[in-house]
Amino acid sequence: MAGDWQPDFEQLVDEHQSMVFSLALRMTGDRGLAEEIAQDTFLALDVNLGKIESSQHACLWLRRVAISRSTDALRRRHARGFGQWAEIDESHGARKLERGSALGIRIEALLATLPEAQRAAIILRYQEDLSPEEIAATLGAPLATVKSQLQRGLKLLRAKAESQLKEYIRAV
Amino acid sequence: MQFEVIDEFEREIRESLERQPPPASLKRKVMERRWQNRAQLDPSHTSARQRSRMIWFERIAASLVLAGVAGSAAIGHYAVERRKGEEAKQQVFTALRITNHAFQVMNAQLQQQGKDSH
Repeated sequence: MAGDWQPDFEQLVDEHQSMVFSLALRMTGDRGLAEEIAQDTFLALDVNLGKIESSQHACLWLRRVAISRSTDALRRRHARGFGQWAEIDESHGARKLERGSALGIRIEALLATLPEAQRAAIILRYQEDLSPEEIAATLGAPLATVKSQLQRGLKLLRAKAESQLKEYIRAV
Repeated sequence: MQFEVIDEFEREIRESLERQPPPASLKRKVMERRWQNRAQLDPSHTSARQRSRMIWFERIAASLVLAGVAGSAAIGHYAVERRKGEEAKQQVFTALRITNHAFQVMNAQLQQQGKDSH
Protein backbone atom coordinates (compact mmCIF):
# COMPACT_ATOMS: atom_id res chain seq x y z
CA MET A 1 0.00 0.00 0.00
CA ALA A 2 1.62 3.23 -1.12
CA GLY A 3 1.14 6.58 0.57
CA ASP A 4 -1.75 7.37 2.89
CA TRP A 5 -4.50 6.40 0.47
CA GLN A 6 -7.17 4.36 2.23
CA PRO A 7 -9.51 2.60 -0.19
CA ASP A 8 -13.20 3.08 0.50
CA PHE A 9 -15.02 0.45 -1.54
CA GLU A 10 -18.43 2.13 -1.45
CA GLN A 11 -16.95 5.42 -2.54
CA LEU A 12 -15.10 3.71 -5.39
CA VAL A 13 -18.38 2.16 -6.56
CA ASP A 14 -20.04 5.59 -6.42
CA GLU A 15 -17.24 7.24 -8.37
CA HIS A 16 -16.71 4.62 -11.06
CA GLN A 17 -20.01 2.80 -11.58
CA SER A 18 -20.95 4.94 -14.57
CA MET A 19 -17.56 4.38 -16.20
CA VAL A 20 -17.52 0.60 -15.62
CA PHE A 21 -21.13 0.14 -16.72
CA SER A 22 -20.65 2.29 -19.84
CA LEU A 23 -17.50 0.39 -20.85
CA ALA A 24 -19.30 -2.94 -20.49
CA LEU A 25 -22.40 -1.62 -22.26
CA ARG A 26 -20.42 -0.26 -25.22
CA MET A 27 -18.43 -3.48 -25.48
CA THR A 28 -21.43 -5.86 -25.25
CA GLY A 29 -24.44 -3.78 -26.30
CA ASP A 30 -26.54 -5.57 -23.69
CA ARG A 31 -27.67 -3.66 -20.59
CA GLY A 32 -28.33 -6.80 -18.57
CA LEU A 33 -24.99 -8.34 -19.40
CA ALA A 34 -23.26 -4.99 -18.84
CA GLU A 35 -24.77 -4.75 -15.37
CA GLU A 36 -23.59 -8.28 -14.54
CA ILE A 37 -20.09 -7.46 -15.80
CA ALA A 38 -20.06 -4.23 -13.78
CA GLN A 39 -21.08 -6.11 -10.63
CA ASP A 40 -18.42 -8.79 -11.20
CA THR A 41 -15.81 -6.11 -11.87
CA PHE A 42 -16.51 -4.31 -8.59
CA LEU A 43 -16.55 -7.58 -6.64
CA ALA A 44 -13.17 -8.45 -8.16
CA LEU A 45 -11.96 -5.01 -7.07
CA ASP A 46 -13.15 -5.77 -3.54
CA VAL A 47 -11.09 -8.97 -3.50
CA ASN A 48 -8.03 -7.13 -4.80
CA LEU A 49 -8.51 -3.93 -2.83
CA GLY A 50 -5.34 -4.52 -0.84
CA LYS A 51 -3.27 -4.35 -4.01
CA ILE A 52 -4.73 -1.01 -5.14
CA GLU A 53 -2.31 1.81 -4.42
CA SER A 54 -4.23 4.95 -5.32
CA SER A 55 -7.45 6.33 -6.74
CA GLN A 56 -5.85 6.50 -10.19
CA HIS A 57 -4.69 2.92 -9.87
CA ALA A 58 -8.26 1.87 -8.98
CA CYS A 59 -9.58 3.67 -12.06
CA LEU A 60 -6.97 2.05 -14.35
CA TRP A 61 -7.64 -1.36 -12.76
CA LEU A 62 -11.40 -1.04 -13.19
CA ARG A 63 -11.08 -0.02 -16.85
CA ARG A 64 -8.78 -2.95 -17.59
CA VAL A 65 -10.94 -5.52 -15.81
CA ALA A 66 -14.21 -4.17 -17.25
CA ILE A 67 -12.84 -4.41 -20.81
CA SER A 68 -11.31 -7.83 -20.16
CA ARG A 69 -14.51 -9.25 -18.63
CA SER A 70 -16.63 -7.78 -21.41
CA THR A 71 -14.41 -9.45 -24.01
CA ASP A 72 -14.64 -12.75 -22.12
CA ALA A 73 -18.43 -12.45 -21.90
CA LEU A 74 -18.70 -11.78 -25.64
CA ARG A 75 -16.54 -14.81 -26.41
CA ARG A 76 -18.66 -17.01 -24.15
CA ARG A 77 -21.77 -15.66 -25.84
CA HIS A 78 -20.33 -16.35 -29.31
CA ALA A 79 -19.39 -19.86 -28.20
CA ARG A 80 -23.00 -20.44 -27.14
CA GLY A 81 -24.21 -19.22 -30.53
CA PHE A 82 -25.71 -15.87 -29.59
CA GLY A 83 -25.29 -13.08 -32.13
CA GLN A 84 -23.30 -10.07 -31.06
CA TRP A 85 -25.48 -7.19 -29.95
CA ALA A 86 -28.46 -9.40 -30.58
CA GLU A 87 -30.33 -8.28 -27.51
CA ILE A 88 -29.87 -4.54 -27.46
CA ASP A 89 -32.21 -2.97 -24.97
CA GLU A 90 -34.61 -0.70 -26.81
CA SER A 91 -34.80 1.70 -23.90
CA HIS A 92 -31.08 2.30 -24.20
CA GLY A 93 -31.53 3.78 -27.70
CA ALA A 94 -34.62 5.69 -26.68
CA ARG A 95 -32.83 7.37 -23.82
CA LYS A 96 -29.96 8.26 -26.11
CA LEU A 97 -32.33 9.77 -28.65
CA GLU A 98 -33.52 12.26 -26.05
CA ARG A 99 -30.03 13.54 -25.42
CA GLY A 100 -28.09 13.09 -28.61
CA SER A 101 -28.46 13.04 -32.34
CA ALA A 102 -29.67 10.15 -34.44
CA LEU A 103 -26.18 10.08 -35.89
CA GLY A 104 -24.81 9.40 -32.42
CA ILE A 105 -27.06 6.37 -32.06
CA ARG A 106 -25.97 5.08 -35.45
CA ILE A 107 -22.32 5.59 -34.64
CA GLU A 108 -22.81 3.61 -31.46
CA ALA A 109 -24.47 0.81 -33.44
CA LEU A 110 -21.70 0.88 -36.06
CA LEU A 111 -19.13 0.71 -33.27
CA ALA A 112 -20.58 -2.66 -32.35
CA THR A 113 -19.62 -4.03 -35.75
CA LEU A 114 -15.92 -3.34 -35.21
CA PRO A 115 -13.54 -6.12 -34.10
CA GLU A 116 -13.30 -6.29 -30.30
CA ALA A 117 -9.75 -4.94 -30.02
CA GLN A 118 -10.53 -1.94 -32.24
CA ARG A 119 -13.80 -1.33 -30.41
CA ALA A 120 -12.05 -1.39 -27.03
CA ALA A 121 -9.44 1.09 -28.26
CA ILE A 122 -12.07 3.43 -29.72
CA ILE A 123 -14.22 3.29 -26.58
CA LEU A 124 -11.25 4.05 -24.33
CA ARG A 125 -10.17 6.87 -26.67
CA TYR A 126 -13.52 8.61 -27.02
CA GLN A 127 -15.55 7.59 -23.98
CA GLU A 128 -12.72 7.79 -21.47
CA ASP A 129 -10.70 10.39 -23.37
CA LEU A 130 -7.47 8.41 -22.95
CA SER A 131 -4.30 8.97 -24.94
CA PRO A 132 -2.91 6.07 -27.00
CA GLU A 133 -0.24 5.61 -24.31
CA GLU A 134 -2.89 5.33 -21.59
CA ILE A 135 -4.92 2.93 -23.72
CA ALA A 136 -1.82 0.78 -24.23
CA ALA A 137 -1.26 0.74 -20.45
CA THR A 138 -4.91 -0.14 -19.81
CA LEU A 139 -5.07 -2.95 -22.34
CA GLY A 140 -1.53 -4.16 -21.69
CA ALA A 141 -0.81 -3.89 -25.41
CA PRO A 142 2.14 -2.35 -27.27
CA LEU A 143 1.67 1.33 -28.13
CA ALA A 144 2.15 0.67 -31.84
CA THR A 145 -0.60 -1.94 -31.76
CA VAL A 146 -2.98 0.45 -30.04
CA LYS A 147 -2.24 3.24 -32.51
CA SER A 148 -2.85 0.83 -35.36
CA GLN A 149 -6.13 -0.35 -33.81
CA LEU A 150 -7.26 3.24 -33.35
CA GLN A 151 -6.41 4.17 -36.94
CA ARG A 152 -8.00 1.05 -38.40
CA GLY A 153 -11.03 1.33 -36.16
CA LEU A 154 -11.61 4.96 -37.07
CA LYS A 155 -11.08 4.27 -40.75
CA LEU A 156 -13.50 1.36 -40.69
CA LEU A 157 -16.03 3.31 -38.69
CA ARG A 158 -15.82 6.24 -41.06
CA ALA A 159 -16.14 4.00 -44.10
CA LYS A 160 -19.21 2.35 -42.63
CA ALA A 161 -20.62 5.74 -41.69
CA GLU A 162 -20.02 7.17 -45.17
CA SER A 163 -21.75 4.26 -46.83
CA GLN A 164 -24.61 3.88 -44.37
CA LEU A 165 -25.24 7.20 -42.72
CA LYS A 166 -26.75 9.38 -45.36
CA GLU A 167 -27.56 11.98 -42.78
CA TYR A 168 -23.93 12.34 -41.86
CA ILE A 169 -22.77 12.62 -45.45
CA ARG A 170 -25.36 15.29 -46.18
CA ALA A 171 -24.25 17.20 -43.09
CA VAL A 172 -20.60 17.32 -44.14
CA MET B 1 -11.21 19.30 -45.70
CA GLN B 2 -10.17 15.77 -44.89
CA PHE B 3 -8.99 16.87 -41.42
CA GLU B 4 -12.23 18.80 -40.85
CA VAL B 5 -14.24 15.73 -41.75
CA ILE B 6 -12.19 13.58 -39.40
CA ASP B 7 -12.44 16.19 -36.61
CA GLU B 8 -16.18 16.47 -37.05
CA PHE B 9 -16.54 12.73 -37.15
CA GLU B 10 -14.40 12.28 -34.06
CA ARG B 11 -16.44 14.93 -32.28
CA GLU B 12 -19.60 12.98 -33.13
CA ILE B 13 -18.02 9.79 -31.82
CA ARG B 14 -16.99 11.52 -28.62
CA GLU B 15 -20.49 12.90 -28.10
CA SER B 16 -22.17 9.60 -28.85
CA LEU B 17 -19.86 7.78 -26.47
CA GLU B 18 -20.57 9.82 -23.38
CA ARG B 19 -20.75 7.75 -20.23
CA GLN B 20 -24.17 6.27 -19.56
CA PRO B 21 -25.83 6.48 -16.15
CA PRO B 22 -25.69 3.06 -14.48
CA PRO B 23 -28.87 1.22 -13.46
CA ALA B 24 -30.16 2.54 -10.15
CA SER B 25 -29.86 -0.93 -8.63
CA LEU B 26 -26.22 -1.48 -9.58
CA LYS B 27 -24.63 -0.20 -6.39
CA ARG B 28 -27.17 -1.96 -4.15
CA LYS B 29 -26.60 -5.28 -5.94
CA VAL B 30 -22.83 -4.90 -5.70
CA MET B 31 -23.03 -4.18 -1.97
CA GLU B 32 -25.40 -7.11 -1.39
CA ARG B 33 -23.20 -9.56 -3.27
CA ARG B 34 -20.15 -8.21 -1.47
CA TRP B 35 -21.85 -8.82 1.87
CA GLN B 36 -22.86 -12.34 0.83
CA ASN B 37 -19.31 -13.14 -0.31
CA ARG B 38 -17.89 -11.90 2.98
CA ALA B 39 -20.49 -13.86 4.97
CA GLN B 40 -19.29 -17.06 3.30
CA LEU B 41 -15.68 -16.33 4.25
CA ASP B 42 -16.07 -14.67 7.66
CA PRO B 43 -18.18 -16.23 10.44
CA SER B 44 -18.76 -12.82 12.01
CA HIS B 45 -20.80 -11.89 8.93
CA THR B 46 -23.13 -14.90 9.15
CA SER B 47 -26.83 -14.24 8.98
CA ALA B 48 -29.23 -14.76 11.90
CA ARG B 49 -30.59 -17.86 10.19
CA GLN B 50 -27.10 -19.32 9.80
CA ARG B 51 -26.29 -18.49 13.41
CA SER B 52 -29.52 -20.18 14.57
CA ARG B 53 -28.62 -23.24 12.50
CA MET B 54 -25.14 -23.32 13.99
CA ILE B 55 -26.57 -23.10 17.53
CA TRP B 56 -28.81 -26.08 16.79
CA PHE B 57 -25.84 -28.05 15.42
CA GLU B 58 -23.90 -27.22 18.58
CA ARG B 59 -26.81 -28.38 20.78
CA ILE B 60 -27.12 -31.65 18.87
CA ALA B 61 -23.36 -32.23 19.07
CA ALA B 62 -23.37 -31.52 22.83
CA SER B 63 -26.31 -33.93 23.31
CA LEU B 64 -24.47 -36.65 21.39
CA VAL B 65 -21.34 -36.14 23.50
CA LEU B 66 -23.37 -36.32 26.74
CA ALA B 67 -25.16 -39.47 25.55
CA GLY B 68 -21.79 -41.01 24.71
CA VAL B 69 -20.36 -40.21 28.15
CA ALA B 70 -23.47 -41.56 29.94
CA GLY B 71 -23.42 -44.72 27.81
CA SER B 72 -19.73 -45.29 28.55
CA ALA B 73 -20.36 -44.86 32.29
CA ALA B 74 -23.27 -47.33 32.22
CA ILE B 75 -21.20 -49.89 30.29
CA GLY B 76 -18.29 -49.46 32.76
CA HIS B 77 -20.63 -49.89 35.74
CA TYR B 78 -22.12 -53.05 34.21
CA ALA B 79 -18.62 -54.47 33.60
CA VAL B 80 -17.60 -53.82 37.23
CA GLU B 81 -20.78 -55.47 38.56
CA ARG B 82 -20.29 -58.44 36.27
CA ARG B 83 -16.70 -58.86 37.43
CA LYS B 84 -17.79 -58.76 41.07
CA GLY B 85 -20.44 -61.41 40.33
CA GLU B 86 -17.83 -63.65 38.69
CA GLU B 87 -15.53 -63.26 41.72
CA ALA B 88 -18.37 -64.17 44.12
CA LYS B 89 -19.24 -67.21 42.00
CA GLN B 90 -15.61 -68.35 42.04
CA GLN B 91 -15.51 -67.95 45.84
CA VAL B 92 -18.68 -70.09 46.21
CA PHE B 93 -17.17 -72.78 43.94
CA THR B 94 -13.94 -72.74 45.97
CA ALA B 95 -15.93 -73.11 49.25
CA LEU B 96 -17.91 -75.98 47.74
CA ARG B 97 -14.73 -77.68 46.59
CA ILE B 98 -13.21 -77.34 50.09
CA THR B 99 -16.41 -78.65 51.71
CA ASN B 100 -16.57 -81.55 49.27
CA HIS B 101 -12.96 -82.40 49.99
CA ALA B 102 -13.64 -82.33 53.78
CA PHE B 103 -16.61 -84.65 53.33
CA GLN B 104 -14.51 -87.07 51.27
CA VAL B 105 -11.78 -87.09 53.94
CA MET B 106 -14.38 -87.61 56.69
CA ASN B 107 -16.07 -90.37 54.68
CA ALA B 108 -12.73 -92.12 54.13
CA GLN B 109 -11.96 -91.94 57.88
CA LEU B 110 -15.40 -93.36 58.76
CA GLN B 111 -14.94 -96.24 56.31
CA GLN B 112 -11.49 -96.93 57.78
CA GLN B 113 -12.90 -96.95 61.35
CA GLY B 114 -15.68 -99.39 60.19
CA LYS B 115 -13.10 -101.81 58.77
CA ASP B 116 -11.02 -101.59 61.98
CA SER B 117 -14.05 -102.36 64.22
CA HIS B 118 -14.88 -105.50 62.21
